[in-house]
Amino acid sequence: MEPVMVVMCAICLLFFLYQLYKLSEERRNQCCYLVHYECHKPSDDRKLNTKFCGDIIARNKNLGRQEYKFLLRAIVSSGIGEETYGPRNIIECRENSPTLEDGILEMDEVLIDTLDKLFRKTGVSPQDIDVLVVNVSSFASVPSLTSRIINRYKMRDDVKSFNLSGMGCSGSLISLSLVQNILKSYKNAFAVVVASESIGPNWYSGNDKSMMLTNCLFRSGGCSFLLTNKRAFRTRAKLRLKCLVRTHLGASDEAHTCCMQKEDDQGRFGFYLGKNLPKTATLAFIKNITGIAPKVLPLKELIRYIVMKYLGKTATLNLKAGIDHFCLHPGGQAVIEEIRKNLGLSEKDVEPSRMTLHRFGNTSSSSLWYVLGYMEAKKRLKKGDNVWMISFGSGFKCNSCVWEVLRDLEDGNVWGDMIDQYPPKTTANPYMEQYGWVNQETFEPSAAV
Amino acid sequence: MAQILPNFSSSVKLKYVKLGYQYLVNHILTFLLIPIMLGILLEILRLGPEEILLLWNSLHFDLVQVLCSWFLVVFIATVYFMSKPRSIYLVDYSCYKPPVTCRVPFSTFMEHSRLILKDNPKSVDFQMRILERSGLGEETCLPPAIHYIPPTPTMEAARGEAEVVIFSAIDSLMEKTGIRPKDIDILIVNCSLFSPTPSLSAMVVNKYKLRSNIKSFNLSGMGCSAGLISIDLARDLLQVHPNSYALVISTEIITPNYYKGSERAMLLPNCLFRMGGAAILLSNKRRDSARAKYKLVHVVRTHKGADDKAYRCVYEQEDPEGKVGINLSKDLMVIAGEALKSNITTIGPLVLPASEQLLFLFTLIGRKMFNPKWKPYIPDFKQAFEHFCIHAGGRAVIDELQKNLQLSSEHVEASRMTLHRFGNTSSSSLWYELSYIEAKGRMKKGDRVWQIAFGSGFKCNSAVWKCNRTIKTPTDGPWQDCIDRYPVHIPEIVKL
Repeated sequence: MEPVMVVMCAICLLFFLYQLYKLSEERRNQCCYLVHYECHKPSDDRKLNTKFCGDIIARNKNLGRQEYKFLLRAIVSSGIGEETYGPRNIIECRENSPTLEDGILEMDEVLIDTLDKLFRKTGVSPQDIDVLVVNVSSFASVPSLTSRIINRYKMRDDVKSFNLSGMGCSGSLISLSLVQNILKSYKNAFAVVVASESIGPNWYSGNDKSMMLTNCLFRSGGCSFLLTNKRAFRTRAKLRLKCLVRTHLGASDEAHTCCMQKEDDQGRFGFYLGKNLPKTATLAFIKNITGIAPKVLPLKELIRYIVMKYLGKTATLNLKAGIDHFCLHPGGQAVIEEIRKNLGLSEKDVEPSRMTLHRFGNTSSSSLWYVLGYMEAKKRLKKGDNVWMISFGSGFKCNSCVWEVLRDLEDGNVWGDMIDQYPPKTTANPYMEQYGWVNQETFEPSAAV
Repeated sequence: MAQILPNFSSSVKLKYVKLGYQYLVNHILTFLLIPIMLGILLEILRLGPEEILLLWNSLHFDLVQVLCSWFLVVFIATVYFMSKPRSIYLVDYSCYKPPVTCRVPFSTFMEHSRLILKDNPKSVDFQMRILERSGLGEETCLPPAIHYIPPTPTMEAARGEAEVVIFSAIDSLMEKTGIRPKDIDILIVNCSLFSPTPSLSAMVVNKYKLRSNIKSFNLSGMGCSAGLISIDLARDLLQVHPNSYALVISTEIITPNYYKGSERAMLLPNCLFRMGGAAILLSNKRRDSARAKYKLVHVVRTHKGADDKAYRCVYEQEDPEGKVGINLSKDLMVIAGEALKSNITTIGPLVLPASEQLLFLFTLIGRKMFNPKWKPYIPDFKQAFEHFCIHAGGRAVIDELQKNLQLSSEHVEASRMTLHRFGNTSSSSLWYELSYIEAKGRMKKGDRVWQIAFGSGFKCNSAVWKCNRTIKTPTDGPWQDCIDRYPVHIPEIVKL
């Protein structure tokens, strides 16, 4: 019976080892790699400068002198430059009567441009895509944008498509969280995420001050990126997702109502930004940091912080111990400045966000990718670096994630040749003298996300 | 879709042959094992008891060997259980029952129609004809804003409708399951045509003070099949996060989407879509396996968007006057049939018993090799499922599916009665239908349910559930006050 027993034991052992190997393979395959991302640069005929914005405001018969001054102040001190892009119906002076076609065309330009380039540069065919997530906050059409993409690129009929909306400026990180979860259950899958915002149909034509700011700050833009969990793409991929933390402050009524879509007293539709927005953003931010810091900072730094706190001394978490690059959502000058002060960052750290705000404006959920593009174009991303992306969204959410750079990145992407002009000597608005009179009265800057 | 093997199907004897064949193939393992077991038994009896004792004593039981073998067995068992996908249970669900004040009987609907479209008598006539043949009853409901003449679809009203529908459904679900808001880990809300900022999911988080690390997703634009897409997403998330609860909310907010123009093809949704919503609690905790109502077996999604005709058959557009509405194309039924065929091709091998699959295989081989004129074999899905929940998209959809899948009128009764009582409530209609089957006391342990839904784009999604425990007739739920009146006979045309 001895040899039989031995043989049986050997078979069991081999089977067990094989199962362990399969399990470990599955664990390894759960990494989420970013293969490539493509930001949208609209055509030059869609550029908006301060003078043009001034004309648009002057056209609005509902605005009195006070509101005119308020808006110009906001535009001039917003940190947004002269080369940002607007939707076509606004450029064509039809901001008050957007048609359904306008909304769809605006989305089409982003989708076609970014997805064509994405598929071409990565060499992945649309038929290989297993998961498709589209995230546009204030646009819902029938059929959805995901169906539009599936139709245009003739994707497979078992593609898992998800169309998220209403998630505000942090939509791309939420889509990323969705894909990360799905890639853990499915082997060898490709996922495409498209993030954009629909500006044209959401123009506010009334005179409520708290609802007019969004008109000034949001600009057209969009981004598509390709993710996978195939090990074979490890050498080709740019970034690897290390961790992602989502924080939702919706339980607090104050946080929930600080930015919402609603109708004003005259029944005009717009986006309301409350005065407690900066405070809510800070609260959400702190809560999010407490979630992500332990996952990303080295043990030494964490121990130092805890010890200092225990001893009663003022301690600030030195995030630069674990993070090399900061991708802050360019929601506005005040937001970037606030975060910079709170985290003790240098000007160089927030330069990518400031420059993105200057060149492209606040493009909502896709703006993080323009910031990442700036860092890459400036050749600052080296192998092994950690990049921290953080964004805020209505509801109120604060989401952040940390990427690890897999190889030295130097693709010029959407910044292209103009990267050498940045940072410019001054980001002050060139129309400061012309419209400078608006700054003569004091007003509280409203941080917008 | 064609008939099965027409030459023999009239013969009664064949029916028994078929039954015997099905029984044989489905229980093939049992039939193979029994002779083997008999053989072993005979061998043992032949050997006699002394020989067996001798055999037993000759085995050397070394302690080390015993421990090693035991160790290995335990390890292999652990590895096996760890690598199985987690079971997803549907703990309970709850459907929203609109108040009586929101009811829109035919007379109300036609009166409103005549007043609003007074310049277009042809359009009024069209709406009347649609309503007569729609299969809807007199108790369907529209939200309060639509009861105004003309309707007043403000954002406030839309948010109001969303709050009433969603919060009522969630309140009733929490009462039934005893779950606390802080226990919810995943939240998915799907509402096709209304996506405010902050999202409906943020609205739910705010009202119920859900945890700040909740994973919330807000799906929109995905049409009437969005409910099953949300279930699919919840399943994927629950595979990755152990010991969690997922709350899925499926609804359609009618207020902002009432078509105010007079273009006929776009007036159709006005006649069919009604107020409704459902809240579903899913879990992957082992302790819920005892109290859960259903276990999720499969979810299959099919997207025919690559085909241009399929993509354009449900399309939102502006009419010549600039009013926005949804245009339903004339070949909707054909496209739905195609999408269903694709979906069935994927789900068939997963759910059909071996006998049906073999028959399908043989006919396929026969067609390829012998005679291409053989009619393709349509598998008998009644073998695989006891209950069918077909999205109550409209009378034509249910008729078409009944014909294609060769279902009896009892199988589609849940869908027809839901269409009659609640109208087309879009993504939540599947849950009203399931509730009907439970209210009728037909759901027993082990029963399998097939939910099918279609959506714009064009999608066909289906989900297969297995009943976990025999469900006693519920004393609450949307059918509680009217179940005894059902089923009703719905005439082809109701004269208005």
